[in-house]
Amino acid sequence: MAHGARVRTLERREARLAYLMVAPTFAIVIGLVVFPAFFNVWISLHRIGLDNLNDVFRAPFVGLRNYVRAATDYAFLDALTTSVLYTILATAATTLGGLGAGLLLNTAFRGRGIFRTLFLIPYVAPLISVAYIWRWLLDPTVRGVVNWTLMRIGVLDHPVSWLGTRGVALLAIILFEGWRYFPFAMLMILARLQAIDATMYEAASVDGASRLRRFWSITLPEVSLVLGTVFLIRLMWTFNKFDDIFLLTGGGFGTRVLPILTYEFSFRLFDFGRGAATAMVLVLILSGFMLVYIRKVMRW
Amino acid sequence: MVARPRWRPTRVLFWLALVAVAFTIAFPFYWMISSSTKNLVELFGRDPVFFPSRIHGDAYRILFRELGFGRNLVNTAVVATSTAVLAVLIASLGAYAVARLHFRGKNVFLNLVLIVYLFPGVLLIIPLFAMLVKIGTAFSFEVQDNLAVLVLTYLAQTLPVALYMLASYFRTIPDDIEQAALIDGCSRLKVITRITFPLSVPALVSVTVYTFMIAWNEFLYAFILLNRRENFTLPIKLLSISEQLNTRWDVVMAASTIMTVPIVLLYLAFQRFLEKGLTAGGVKA
Repeated sequence: MAHGARVRTLERREARLAYLMVAPTFAIVIGLVVFPAFFNVWISLHRIGLDNLNDVFRAPFVGLRNYVRAATDYAFLDALTTSVLYTILATAATTLGGLGAGLLLNTAFRGRGIFRTLFLIPYVAPLISVAYIWRWLLDPTVRGVVNWTLMRIGVLDHPVSWLGTRGVALLAIILFEGWRYFPFAMLMILARLQAIDATMYEAASVDGASRLRRFWSITLPEVSLVLGTVFLIRLMWTFNKFDDIFLLTGGGFGTRVLPILTYEFSFRLFDFGRGAATAMVLVLILSGFMLVYIRKVMRW
Repeated sequence: MVARPRWRPTRVLFWLALVAVAFTIAFPFYWMISSSTKNLVELFGRDPVFFPSRIHGDAYRILFRELGFGRNLVNTAVVATSTAVLAVLIASLGAYAVARLHFRGKNVFLNLVLIVYLFPGVLLIIPLFAMLVKIGTAFSFEVQDNLAVLVLTYLAQTLPVALYMLASYFRTIPDDIEQAALIDGCSRLKVITRITFPLSVPALVSVTVYTFMIAWNEFLYAFILLNRRENFTLPIKLLSISEQLNTRWDVVMAASTIMTVPIVLLYLAFQRFLEKGLTAGGVKA
Protein backbone atom coordinates (compact mmCIF):
# COMPACT_ATOMS: atom_id res chain seq x y z
CA MET A 1 0.00 0.00 0.00
CA ALA A 2 2.56 2.50 1.14
CA HIS A 3 4.77 1.47 -1.72
CA GLY A 4 1.99 2.02 -4.25
CA ALA A 5 1.35 5.50 -2.90
CA ARG A 6 5.01 6.37 -3.14
CA VAL A 7 5.17 5.25 -6.76
CA ARG A 8 2.12 7.35 -7.46
CA THR A 9 3.62 10.50 -5.95
CA LEU A 10 6.81 9.84 -7.87
CA GLU A 11 4.80 9.53 -11.03
CA ARG A 12 2.96 12.71 -10.23
CA ARG A 13 6.20 14.51 -9.56
CA GLU A 14 7.58 13.26 -12.85
CA ALA A 15 4.50 14.43 -14.73
CA ARG A 16 4.80 17.85 -13.07
CA LEU A 17 8.40 18.10 -14.19
CA ALA A 18 7.36 17.08 -17.70
CA TYR A 19 4.72 19.83 -17.84
CA LEU A 20 7.28 22.37 -16.70
CA MET A 21 9.66 21.23 -19.40
CA VAL A 22 7.19 21.40 -22.27
CA ALA A 23 5.58 24.61 -21.01
CA PRO A 24 7.86 27.12 -22.83
CA THR A 25 7.48 25.35 -26.19
CA PHE A 26 3.78 24.95 -25.63
CA ALA A 27 3.32 28.60 -24.71
CA ILE A 28 5.20 29.87 -27.76
CA VAL A 29 3.48 27.49 -30.17
CA ILE A 30 0.03 28.31 -28.79
CA GLY A 31 0.68 32.05 -28.52
CA LEU A 32 2.48 32.63 -31.80
CA VAL A 33 1.11 29.93 -34.09
CA VAL A 34 -2.17 28.38 -32.93
CA PHE A 35 -3.80 31.53 -31.59
CA PRO A 36 -2.83 33.64 -34.65
CA ALA A 37 -4.23 30.89 -36.89
CA PHE A 38 -7.63 31.18 -35.20
CA PHE A 39 -7.34 34.93 -34.97
CA ASN A 40 -6.95 34.93 -38.75
CA VAL A 41 -10.46 33.48 -39.08
CA TRP A 42 -11.75 36.33 -36.95
CA ILE A 43 -9.86 38.95 -38.97
CA SER A 44 -11.28 37.54 -42.20
CA LEU A 45 -14.78 38.34 -40.92
CA HIS A 46 -14.04 41.96 -39.98
CA ARG A 47 -13.09 45.15 -41.72
CA ILE A 48 -9.55 45.94 -40.69
CA GLY A 49 -7.37 48.56 -42.30
CA LEU A 50 -4.46 50.73 -41.28
CA ASP A 51 -6.86 53.13 -39.52
CA ASN A 52 -8.11 50.61 -36.95
CA LEU A 53 -5.14 48.25 -36.74
CA ASN A 54 -4.37 49.52 -33.24
CA ASP A 55 -7.88 48.73 -32.13
CA VAL A 56 -8.65 45.48 -33.94
CA PHE A 57 -11.09 44.08 -31.39
CA ARG A 58 -13.59 46.82 -32.09
CA ALA A 59 -13.38 46.39 -35.86
CA PRO A 60 -16.79 46.21 -37.56
CA PHE A 61 -18.10 42.73 -38.35
CA VAL A 62 -18.73 42.33 -42.07
CA GLY A 63 -19.72 38.67 -42.35
CA LEU A 64 -18.44 37.01 -45.49
CA ARG A 65 -17.99 40.26 -47.38
CA ASN A 66 -14.20 39.98 -47.34
CA TYR A 67 -14.47 36.57 -48.97
CA VAL A 68 -16.78 37.90 -51.66
CA ARG A 69 -14.51 40.88 -52.29
CA ALA A 70 -11.48 38.59 -52.49
CA ALA A 71 -13.14 36.08 -54.81
CA THR A 72 -14.52 38.73 -57.14
CA ASP A 73 -11.24 40.61 -57.40
CA TYR A 74 -10.01 40.57 -61.00
CA ALA A 75 -6.78 38.84 -59.91
CA PHE A 76 -8.30 36.07 -57.81
CA LEU A 77 -9.23 33.39 -60.32
CA ASP A 78 -6.01 33.94 -62.16
CA ALA A 79 -4.05 33.57 -58.90
CA LEU A 80 -5.91 30.38 -58.04
CA THR A 81 -5.19 28.70 -61.38
CA THR A 82 -1.59 29.95 -61.40
CA SER A 83 -1.16 28.58 -57.88
CA VAL A 84 -2.44 25.14 -58.82
CA LEU A 85 -0.46 24.95 -62.04
CA TYR A 86 2.74 26.22 -60.44
CA THR A 87 2.44 23.98 -57.38
CA ILE A 88 1.88 20.78 -59.32
CA LEU A 89 4.55 21.42 -61.95
CA ALA A 90 7.18 22.72 -59.50
CA THR A 91 6.59 19.77 -57.18
CA ALA A 92 6.82 17.35 -60.08
CA ALA A 93 10.09 18.99 -61.20
CA THR A 94 11.46 18.72 -57.66
CA THR A 95 10.47 15.09 -57.22
CA LEU A 96 11.65 13.95 -60.65
CA GLY A 97 14.90 15.90 -60.28
CA GLY A 98 15.41 14.26 -56.90
CA LEU A 99 14.74 10.82 -58.37
CA GLY A 100 17.20 11.41 -61.23
CA ALA A 101 19.92 12.72 -58.96
CA GLY A 102 19.24 9.95 -56.45
CA LEU A 103 19.64 7.29 -59.15
CA LEU A 104 22.89 8.89 -60.34
CA LEU A 105 24.32 8.90 -56.82
CA ASN A 106 23.10 5.40 -56.06
CA THR A 107 25.80 3.84 -58.24
CA ALA A 108 29.30 3.32 -56.90
CA PHE A 109 31.94 5.56 -58.46
CA ARG A 110 34.95 7.49 -57.37
CA GLY A 111 34.14 10.97 -56.06
CA ARG A 112 30.56 10.15 -55.15
CA GLY A 113 30.87 11.94 -51.80
CA ILE A 114 32.00 15.15 -53.49
CA PHE A 115 29.08 15.12 -55.93
CA ARG A 116 26.67 14.38 -53.13
CA THR A 117 27.96 17.34 -51.14
CA LEU A 118 27.79 19.60 -54.19
CA PHE A 119 24.26 18.51 -55.13
CA LEU A 120 22.92 19.63 -51.76
CA ILE A 121 24.23 23.18 -51.99
CA PRO A 122 21.31 24.79 -53.89
CA TYR A 123 19.05 23.70 -51.05
CA VAL A 124 21.37 24.83 -48.26
CA ALA A 125 22.39 28.22 -49.68
CA PRO A 126 20.27 31.19 -48.58
CA LEU A 127 17.19 31.63 -50.77
CA ILE A 128 17.77 35.34 -51.25
CA SER A 129 21.28 34.73 -52.59
CA VAL A 130 20.24 32.08 -55.08
CA ALA A 131 17.24 34.15 -56.16
CA TYR A 132 19.54 37.06 -56.99
CA ILE A 133 22.11 34.80 -58.66
CA TRP A 134 19.41 33.56 -61.02
CA ARG A 135 18.10 37.06 -61.62
CA TRP A 136 21.60 38.01 -62.70
CA LEU A 137 22.10 34.87 -64.82
CA LEU A 138 18.70 35.48 -66.45
CA ASP A 139 19.27 39.24 -66.90
CA PRO A 140 16.97 40.41 -69.72
CA THR A 141 19.80 42.07 -71.66
CA VAL A 142 22.72 40.44 -73.48
CA ARG A 143 24.74 40.86 -70.28
CA GLY A 144 22.81 37.97 -68.80
CA VAL A 145 24.92 34.85 -69.27
CA VAL A 146 21.95 32.72 -70.27
CA ASN A 147 20.89 35.14 -73.00
CA TRP A 148 24.47 35.63 -74.16
CA THR A 149 25.12 31.89 -74.41
CA LEU A 150 21.87 31.08 -76.19
CA MET A 151 22.47 33.90 -78.69
CA ARG A 152 26.05 32.79 -79.19
CA ILE A 153 25.10 29.25 -80.10
CA GLY A 154 22.30 30.54 -82.30
CA VAL A 155 19.23 29.42 -80.36
CA LEU A 156 18.03 33.00 -79.86
CA ASP A 157 18.54 36.02 -82.04
CA HIS A 158 17.54 38.58 -79.45
CA PRO A 159 17.67 38.53 -75.64
CA VAL A 160 14.64 37.21 -73.78
CA SER A 161 13.25 38.74 -70.61
CA TRP A 162 12.98 35.40 -68.83
CA LEU A 163 11.44 36.71 -65.64
CA GLY A 164 9.48 39.52 -67.30
CA THR A 165 7.45 37.74 -69.97
CA ARG A 166 4.08 36.13 -69.34
CA GLY A 167 4.31 32.35 -69.55
CA VAL A 168 8.09 32.27 -69.72
CA ALA A 169 8.35 33.70 -66.21
CA LEU A 170 6.17 30.99 -64.68
CA LEU A 171 8.20 28.32 -66.47
CA ALA A 172 11.45 29.89 -65.25
CA ILE A 173 10.15 29.87 -61.68
CA ILE A 174 9.09 26.24 -61.94
CA LEU A 175 12.57 25.31 -63.16
CA PHE A 176 14.12 27.41 -60.39
CA GLU A 177 12.05 25.52 -57.80
CA GLY A 178 13.23 22.23 -59.28
CA TRP A 179 16.83 23.41 -59.17
CA ARG A 180 16.59 24.60 -55.59
CA TYR A 181 14.52 21.87 -53.94
CA PHE A 182 15.51 18.66 -55.75
CA PRO A 183 18.18 17.92 -53.09
CA PHE A 184 15.49 17.47 -50.44
CA ALA A 185 13.76 14.85 -52.60
CA MET A 186 17.14 13.36 -53.52
CA LEU A 187 18.14 12.76 -49.90
CA MET A 188 14.91 10.99 -49.04
CA ILE A 189 14.86 8.95 -52.25
CA LEU A 190 18.54 8.04 -51.96
CA ALA A 191 18.03 6.73 -48.44
CA ARG A 192 15.27 4.49 -49.75
CA LEU A 193 17.27 3.37 -52.80
CA GLN A 194 20.15 2.29 -50.64
CA ALA A 195 17.86 0.12 -48.56
CA ILE A 196 16.71 -1.95 -51.56
CA ASP A 197 17.88 -5.54 -51.34
CA ALA A 198 20.67 -5.98 -53.93
CA THR A 199 19.88 -9.68 -54.43
CA MET A 200 16.66 -8.69 -56.23
CA TYR A 201 18.69 -6.98 -58.92
CA GLU A 202 21.06 -9.93 -59.16
CA ALA A 203 18.19 -12.37 -59.56
CA ALA A 204 16.61 -10.17 -62.22
CA SER A 205 19.93 -9.90 -64.08
CA VAL A 206 20.34 -13.66 -64.05
CA ASP A 207 16.88 -13.94 -65.54
CA GLY A 208 18.03 -11.59 -68.29
CA ALA A 209 16.08 -8.47 -67.32
CA SER A 210 17.32 -5.32 -69.04
CA ARG A 211 18.39 -2.24 -67.12
CA LEU A 212 15.16 -0.45 -67.98
CA ARG A 213 13.14 -3.50 -67.03
CA ARG A 214 14.86 -3.71 -63.64
CA PHE A 215 14.12 -0.04 -63.05
CA TRP A 216 10.41 -0.45 -63.87
CA SER A 217 9.90 -3.70 -62.02
CA ILE A 218 12.14 -3.35 -58.98
CA THR A 219 13.31 0.21 -58.33
CA LEU A 220 10.11 2.09 -59.06
CA PRO A 221 7.80 -0.06 -56.91
CA GLU A 222 10.33 0.08 -54.08
CA VAL A 223 10.57 3.87 -54.08
CA SER A 224 6.95 4.63 -54.95
CA LEU A 225 5.96 5.22 -51.32
CA VAL A 226 8.78 7.63 -50.63
CA LEU A 227 8.09 9.39 -53.95
CA GLY A 228 4.51 9.89 -52.83
CA THR A 229 5.59 11.24 -49.45
CA VAL A 230 8.12 13.64 -50.94
CA PHE A 231 5.58 14.81 -53.50
CA LEU A 232 2.99 15.50 -50.81
CA ILE A 233 5.36 17.34 -48.46
CA ARG A 234 6.73 19.50 -51.25
CA LEU A 235 3.23 20.08 -52.61
CA MET A 236 2.16 21.63 -49.31
CA TRP A 237 5.25 23.78 -48.94
CA THR A 238 5.24 24.88 -52.57
CA PHE A 239 1.59 25.83 -52.35
CA ASN A 240 2.42 28.13 -49.40
CA LYS A 241 5.50 29.58 -50.96
CA PHE A 242 5.78 33.33 -50.94
CA ASP A 243 9.41 34.43 -50.95
CA ASP A 244 10.72 32.53 -53.99
CA ILE A 245 8.26 34.12 -56.39
CA PHE A 246 8.28 37.47 -54.62
CA LEU A 247 12.05 37.72 -54.96
CA LEU A 248 12.24 36.51 -58.57
CA THR A 249 9.36 38.35 -60.24
CA GLY A 250 7.59 40.27 -57.47
CA GLY A 251 4.49 38.33 -58.47
CA GLY A 252 4.23 39.98 -61.89
CA PHE A 253 4.10 38.61 -65.43
CA GLY A 254 1.68 35.78 -64.77
CA THR A 255 3.29 34.55 -61.58
CA ARG A 256 0.85 35.97 -59.03
CA VAL A 257 -0.03 32.99 -56.83
CA LEU A 258 -2.39 33.02 -53.83
CA PRO A 259 0.29 33.76 -51.20
CA ILE A 260 1.40 36.78 -53.26
CA LEU A 261 -2.20 37.96 -53.57
CA THR A 262 -2.62 37.58 -49.79
CA TYR A 263 0.42 39.73 -49.25
CA GLU A 264 -0.77 42.35 -51.76
CA PHE A 265 -4.22 42.68 -50.22
CA SER A 266 -2.75 43.02 -46.73
CA PHE A 267 0.44 44.96 -47.08
CA ARG A 268 0.00 46.86 -50.35
CA LEU A 269 -3.68 47.75 -50.09
CA PHE A 270 -3.70 47.44 -46.27
CA ASP A 271 -6.98 45.58 -46.52
CA PHE A 272 -6.18 43.04 -43.81
CA GLY A 273 -9.64 41.48 -43.74
CA ARG A 274 -9.50 40.66 -47.44
CA GLY A 275 -5.94 39.39 -47.09
CA ALA A 276 -7.00 37.12 -44.24
CA ALA A 277 -9.93 35.84 -46.30
CA THR A 278 -7.56 34.99 -49.15
CA ALA A 279 -5.28 33.21 -46.68
CA MET A 280 -8.30 31.22 -45.50
CA VAL A 281 -8.97 30.02 -49.04
CA LEU A 282 -5.32 28.99 -49.20
CA VAL A 283 -5.63 27.10 -45.93
CA LEU A 284 -8.84 25.41 -46.97
CA ILE A 285 -7.18 23.94 -50.03
CA LEU A 286 -4.08 23.15 -48.00
CA SER A 287 -6.02 21.32 -45.31
CA GLY A 288 -7.17 18.93 -48.02
CA PHE A 289 -3.52 18.06 -48.68
CA MET A 290 -2.85 17.99 -44.94
CA LEU A 291 -5.58 15.46 -44.36
CA VAL A 292 -4.04 13.13 -46.92
CA TYR A 293 -0.65 13.70 -45.31
CA ILE A 294 -1.88 12.97 -41.80
CA ARG A 295 -3.68 9.82 -42.96
CA LYS A 296 -1.02 8.43 -45.26
CA VAL A 297 2.29 9.66 -43.90
CA MET A 298 1.70 10.18 -40.21
CA ARG A 299 -0.68 7.15 -40.23
CA TRP A 300 -2.95 8.71 -37.68
CA MET B 1 39.08 -13.91 -71.41
CA VAL B 2 38.12 -10.83 -73.31
CA ALA B 3 38.87 -7.57 -71.53
CA ARG B 4 35.75 -5.48 -71.06
CA PRO B 5 35.86 -2.14 -72.84
CA ARG B 6 36.71 0.62 -70.41
CA TRP B 7 34.10 3.02 -71.70
CA ARG B 8 30.75 1.46 -72.23
CA PRO B 9 28.11 3.82 -73.64
CA THR B 10 26.00 3.74 -70.48
CA ARG B 11 29.05 4.75 -68.47
CA VAL B 12 29.67 7.72 -70.77
CA LEU B 13 26.04 8.78 -70.49
CA PHE B 14 26.22 8.44 -66.72
CA TRP B 15 29.23 10.73 -66.45
CA LEU B 16 27.74 13.21 -68.91
CA ALA B 17 24.58 13.44 -66.81
CA LEU B 18 26.55 13.76 -63.60
CA VAL B 19 28.78 16.51 -64.94
CA ALA B 20 25.79 18.35 -66.44
CA VAL B 21 24.01 18.42 -63.08
CA ALA B 22 27.20 19.40 -61.29
CA PHE B 23 27.74 22.24 -63.76
CA THR B 24 24.23 23.70 -63.39
CA ILE B 25 24.83 23.77 -59.64
CA ALA B 26 28.43 24.94 -59.50
CA PHE B 27 28.31 27.55 -62.25
CA PRO B 28 25.72 29.87 -60.64
CA PHE B 29 27.80 29.99 -57.46
CA TYR B 30 31.00 30.51 -59.41
CA TRP B 31 29.26 33.33 -61.28
CA MET B 32 28.16 34.93 -58.00
CA ILE B 33 31.68 34.99 -56.58
CA SER B 34 33.41 36.02 -59.79
CA SER B 35 30.85 38.77 -60.54
CA SER B 36 31.42 40.21 -57.08
CA THR B 37 35.12 40.74 -57.87
CA LYS B 38 34.74 42.28 -61.33
CA ASN B 39 35.07 45.91 -62.27
CA LEU B 40 32.37 47.61 -64.31
CA VAL B 41 34.17 47.10 -67.62
CA GLU B 42 34.33 43.37 -67.07
CA LEU B 43 30.79 43.28 -65.74
CA PHE B 44 29.08 45.23 -68.49
CA GLY B 45 31.37 44.61 -71.46
CA ARG B 46 30.16 43.19 -74.76
CA ASP B 47 31.00 39.64 -73.80
CA PRO B 48 30.91 38.19 -70.30
CA VAL B 49 34.32 37.65 -68.71
CA PHE B 50 34.43 34.05 -67.58
CA PHE B 51 37.92 34.16 -66.09
CA PRO B 52 38.66 37.61 -64.66
CA SER B 53 42.37 38.34 -64.73
CA ARG B 54 42.41 40.12 -61.40
CA ILE B 55 40.27 40.54 -58.32
CA HIS B 56 38.66 43.90 -57.64
CA GLY B 57 37.38 44.77 -54.19
CA ASP B 58 35.22 47.73 -55.24
CA ALA B 59 31.91 46.00 -54.64
CA TYR B 60 32.88 44.97 -51.13
CA ARG B 61 34.19 48.46 -50.39
CA ILE B 62 30.90 50.03 -51.48
CA LEU B 63 29.00 47.51 -49.43
CA PHE B 64 30.77 48.20 -46.16
CA ARG B 65 31.85 51.84 -46.53
CA GLU B 66 28.80 53.33 -48.25
CA LEU B 67 25.93 51.01 -47.55
CA GLY B 68 26.57 50.15 -43.90
CA PHE B 69 26.46 46.43 -44.62
CA GLY B 70 28.48 45.63 -41.49
CA ARG B 71 25.64 46.74 -39.28
CA ASN B 72 23.21 44.42 -41.06
CA LEU B 73 25.67 41.56 -40.88
CA VAL B 74 25.86 42.03 -37.11
CA ASN B 75 22.04 42.21 -36.85
CA THR B 76 21.66 38.93 -38.67
CA ALA B 77 24.40 37.24 -36.68
CA VAL B 78 22.79 38.36 -33.42
CA VAL B 79 19.27 37.36 -34.47
CA ALA B 80 20.35 33.98 -35.84
CA THR B 81 22.56 33.16 -32.85
CA SER B 82 19.90 34.10 -30.29
CA THR B 83 17.27 32.11 -32.17
CA ALA B 84 19.52 29.06 -32.36
CA VAL B 85 20.62 29.12 -28.72
CA LEU B 86 17.15 29.79 -27.33
CA ALA B 87 15.47 27.28 -29.62
CA VAL B 88 17.85 24.51 -28.62
CA LEU B 89 17.58 25.33 -24.92
CA ILE B 90 13.79 25.42 -24.91
CA ALA B 91 13.28 22.56 -27.34
CA SER B 92 15.72 20.21 -25.64
CA LEU B 93 13.78 20.44 -22.38
CA GLY B 94 10.49 19.74 -24.13
CA ALA B 95 12.07 17.00 -26.22
CA TYR B 96 13.42 15.27 -23.13
CA ALA B 97 10.01 15.30 -21.50
CA VAL B 98 8.45 13.86 -24.63
CA ALA B 99 11.10 11.18 -25.05
CA ARG B 100 11.48 10.04 -21.45
CA LEU B 101 8.73 11.16 -19.10
CA HIS B 102 5.13 10.05 -18.85
CA PHE B 103 2.50 12.69 -18.75
CA ARG B 104 -1.06 12.99 -19.86
CA GLY B 105 -1.59 14.72 -23.21
CA LYS B 106 1.82 13.81 -24.54
CA ASN B 107 0.58 12.50 -27.86
CA VAL B 108 -1.75 15.42 -28.37
CA PHE B 109 1.17 17.77 -27.73
CA LEU B 110 3.44 15.91 -30.14
CA ASN B 111 0.86 15.89 -32.91
CA LEU B 112 0.12 19.56 -32.32
CA VAL B 113 3.81 20.31 -32.77
CA LEU B 114 3.94 18.31 -36.00
CA ILE B 115 0.86 19.92 -37.51
CA VAL B 116 1.95 23.42 -36.54
CA TYR B 117 5.00 22.77 -38.62
CA LEU B 118 2.83 22.64 -41.73
CA PHE B 119 1.17 26.01 -41.11
CA PRO B 120 1.99 28.49 -43.84
CA GLY B 121 3.86 31.65 -42.91
CA VAL B 122 1.56 33.79 -45.07
CA LEU B 123 -1.43 32.63 -43.05
CA LEU B 124 0.18 33.68 -39.78
CA ILE B 125 1.78 36.94 -40.79
CA ILE B 126 -1.45 39.00 -40.85
CA PRO B 127 -2.88 37.93 -37.46
CA LEU B 128 0.59 37.92 -35.91
CA PHE B 129 1.18 41.44 -37.13
CA ALA B 130 -2.20 42.66 -35.85
CA MET B 131 -1.68 40.85 -32.55
CA LEU B 132 1.83 42.18 -32.00
CA VAL B 133 0.76 45.73 -32.82
CA LYS B 134 -2.01 45.39 -30.23
CA ILE B 135 0.28 43.98 -27.56
CA GLY B 136 2.92 46.57 -28.38
CA THR B 137 0.43 49.41 -27.86
CA ALA B 138 -0.85 47.87 -24.63
CA PHE B 139 2.58 47.45 -23.10
CA SER B 140 4.06 50.43 -24.93
CA PHE B 141 6.93 48.83 -26.74
CA GLU B 142 7.83 49.09 -30.39
CA VAL B 143 6.85 45.99 -32.37
CA GLN B 144 8.34 47.08 -35.65
CA ASP B 145 12.11 47.34 -35.88
CA ASN B 146 12.43 45.30 -32.72
CA LEU B 147 14.91 42.47 -33.20
CA ALA B 148 13.78 40.74 -29.99
CA VAL B 149 10.24 40.46 -31.39
CA LEU B 150 11.71 39.05 -34.58
CA VAL B 151 13.60 36.41 -32.59
CA LEU B 152 10.38 35.50 -30.80
CA THR B 153 8.59 34.87 -34.11
CA TYR B 154 11.56 32.81 -35.30
CA LEU B 155 11.31 30.69 -32.16
CA ALA B 156 7.72 29.92 -33.07
CA GLN B 157 8.93 28.80 -36.49
CA THR B 158 11.86 26.70 -35.30
CA LEU B 159 10.76 25.18 -31.96
CA PRO B 160 8.45 22.51 -33.43
CA VAL B 161 11.06 21.02 -35.74
CA ALA B 162 13.84 21.39 -33.16
CA LEU B 163 11.76 19.58 -30.56
CA TYR B 164 10.84 16.86 -33.00
CA MET B 165 14.42 16.26 -34.11
CA LEU B 166 15.79 16.23 -30.55
CA ALA B 167 13.07 13.96 -29.21
CA SER B 168 13.77 11.37 -31.89
CA TYR B 169 17.47 11.54 -31.01
CA PHE B 170 16.91 11.23 -27.25
CA ARG B 171 14.86 8.11 -27.89
CA THR B 172 17.89 6.42 -29.47
CA ILE B 173 19.93 6.82 -26.26
CA PRO B 174 19.55 3.68 -24.13
CA ASP B 175 17.50 4.33 -21.03
CA ASP B 176 19.61 2.04 -18.77
CA ILE B 177 22.30 4.55 -17.90
CA GLU B 178 19.72 7.10 -16.83
CA GLN B 179 17.79 4.53 -14.81
CA ALA B 180 20.97 3.49 -13.02
CA ALA B 181 21.77 7.09 -12.14
CA LEU B 182 18.20 7.65 -10.91
CA ILE B 183 18.43 4.60 -8.66
CA ASP B 184 21.73 5.93 -7.33
CA GLY B 185 19.81 8.95 -6.19
CA CYS B 186 20.50 11.45 -8.97
CA SER B 187 17.68 13.92 -9.59
CA ARG B 188 16.07 14.12 -13.03
CA LEU B 189 17.64 17.49 -13.75
CA LYS B 190 21.06 16.14 -12.87
CA VAL B 191 20.51 13.12 -15.10
CA ILE B 192 19.55 15.44 -17.97
CA THR B 193 22.48 17.81 -17.63
CA ARG B 194 25.11 15.21 -16.72
CA ILE B 195 24.10 12.24 -18.87
CA THR B 196 21.54 12.93 -21.59
CA PHE B 197 22.87 16.23 -22.92
CA PRO B 198 26.53 15.19 -23.05
CA LEU B 199 25.49 12.07 -24.96
CA SER B 200 23.44 14.16 -27.38
CA VAL B 201 26.08 16.63 -28.48
CA PRO B 202 25.79 15.67 -32.18
CA ALA B 203 22.04 16.24 -32.18
CA LEU B 204 22.29 19.45 -30.15
CA VAL B 205 24.92 20.79 -32.54
CA SER B 206 22.99 19.88 -35.66
CA VAL B 207 19.78 21.45 -34.36
CA THR B 208 21.68 24.58 -33.36
CA VAL B 209 23.21 24.89 -36.82
CA TYR B 210 19.92 24.11 -38.47
CA THR B 211 17.90 26.70 -36.57
CA PHE B 212 20.71 29.20 -37.10
CA MET B 213 20.36 28.66 -40.85
CA ILE B 214 16.59 29.15 -40.76
CA ALA B 215 16.90 32.43 -38.87
CA TRP B 216 19.80 33.59 -41.06
CA ASN B 217 17.73 33.11 -44.22
CA GLU B 218 14.28 34.15 -43.05
CA PHE B 219 12.69 36.72 -45.31
CA LEU B 220 8.93 37.25 -44.88
CA TYR B 221 8.70 38.13 -41.17
CA ALA B 222 11.75 40.35 -41.29
CA PHE B 223 10.34 42.04 -44.37
CA ILE B 224 7.07 42.85 -42.61
CA LEU B 225 8.51 43.73 -39.19
CA LEU B 226 11.60 45.76 -40.05
CA ASN B 227 11.35 49.26 -41.50
CA ARG B 228 14.56 51.10 -40.75
CA ARG B 229 17.66 50.39 -42.77
CA GLU B 230 19.94 50.10 -39.78
CA ASN B 231 17.74 47.36 -38.35
CA PHE B 232 17.53 45.26 -41.49
CA THR B 233 18.73 41.70 -41.46
CA LEU B 234 20.73 40.56 -44.49
CA PRO B 235 17.87 39.27 -46.67
CA ILE B 236 16.01 42.58 -46.40
CA LYS B 237 19.21 44.53 -46.84
CA LEU B 238 19.92 42.63 -50.04
CA LEU B 239 16.46 43.44 -51.33
CA SER B 240 16.90 47.12 -50.53
CA ILE B 241 20.34 47.24 -52.15
CA SER B 242 19.02 45.70 -55.34
CA GLU B 243 16.18 48.22 -55.42
CA GLN B 244 18.51 51.10 -54.71
CA LEU B 245 21.34 50.16 -57.10
CA ASN B 246 19.34 48.45 -59.77
CA THR B 247 22.11 47.35 -62.11
CA ARG B 248 25.12 47.15 -59.80
CA TRP B 249 25.27 43.39 -60.01
CA ASP B 250 28.79 43.39 -58.59
CA VAL B 251 27.48 44.86 -55.32
CA VAL B 252 24.41 42.60 -55.18
CA MET B 253 26.61 39.56 -55.86
CA ALA B 254 29.11 40.65 -53.20
CA ALA B 255 26.28 40.85 -50.66
CA SER B 256 25.00 37.44 -51.80
CA THR B 257 28.48 36.00 -51.42
CA ILE B 258 28.83 37.29 -47.87
CA MET B 259 25.44 35.83 -47.02
CA THR B 260 26.15 32.47 -48.60
CA VAL B 261 29.70 31.73 -47.44
CA PRO B 262 29.04 31.26 -43.70
CA ILE B 263 26.04 29.04 -44.40
CA VAL B 264 27.89 26.83 -46.86
CA LEU B 265 30.84 26.56 -44.48
CA LEU B 266 28.53 25.53 -41.65
CA TYR B 267 26.95 22.98 -43.93
CA LEU B 268 30.32 21.54 -44.95
CA ALA B 269 31.49 21.37 -41.35
CA PHE B 270 28.37 19.64 -40.04
CA GLN B 271 27.17 17.89 -43.17
CA ARG B 272 26.84 14.46 -41.63
CA PHE B 273 24.65 15.62 -38.75
CA LEU B 274 22.62 17.98 -40.88
CA GLU B 275 21.65 15.49 -43.55
CA LYS B 276 19.97 13.33 -40.98
CA GLY B 277 17.97 16.28 -39.73
CA LEU B 278 17.11 17.42 -43.24
CA THR B 279 15.21 14.23 -43.92
CA ALA B 280 14.04 13.37 -40.39
CA GLY B 281 12.01 16.49 -39.79
CA GLY B 282 11.74 17.38 -43.41
CA VAL B 283 13.20 20.84 -43.58
CA LYS B 284 10.71 23.55 -44.22
CA ALA B 285 11.96 25.80 -46.93
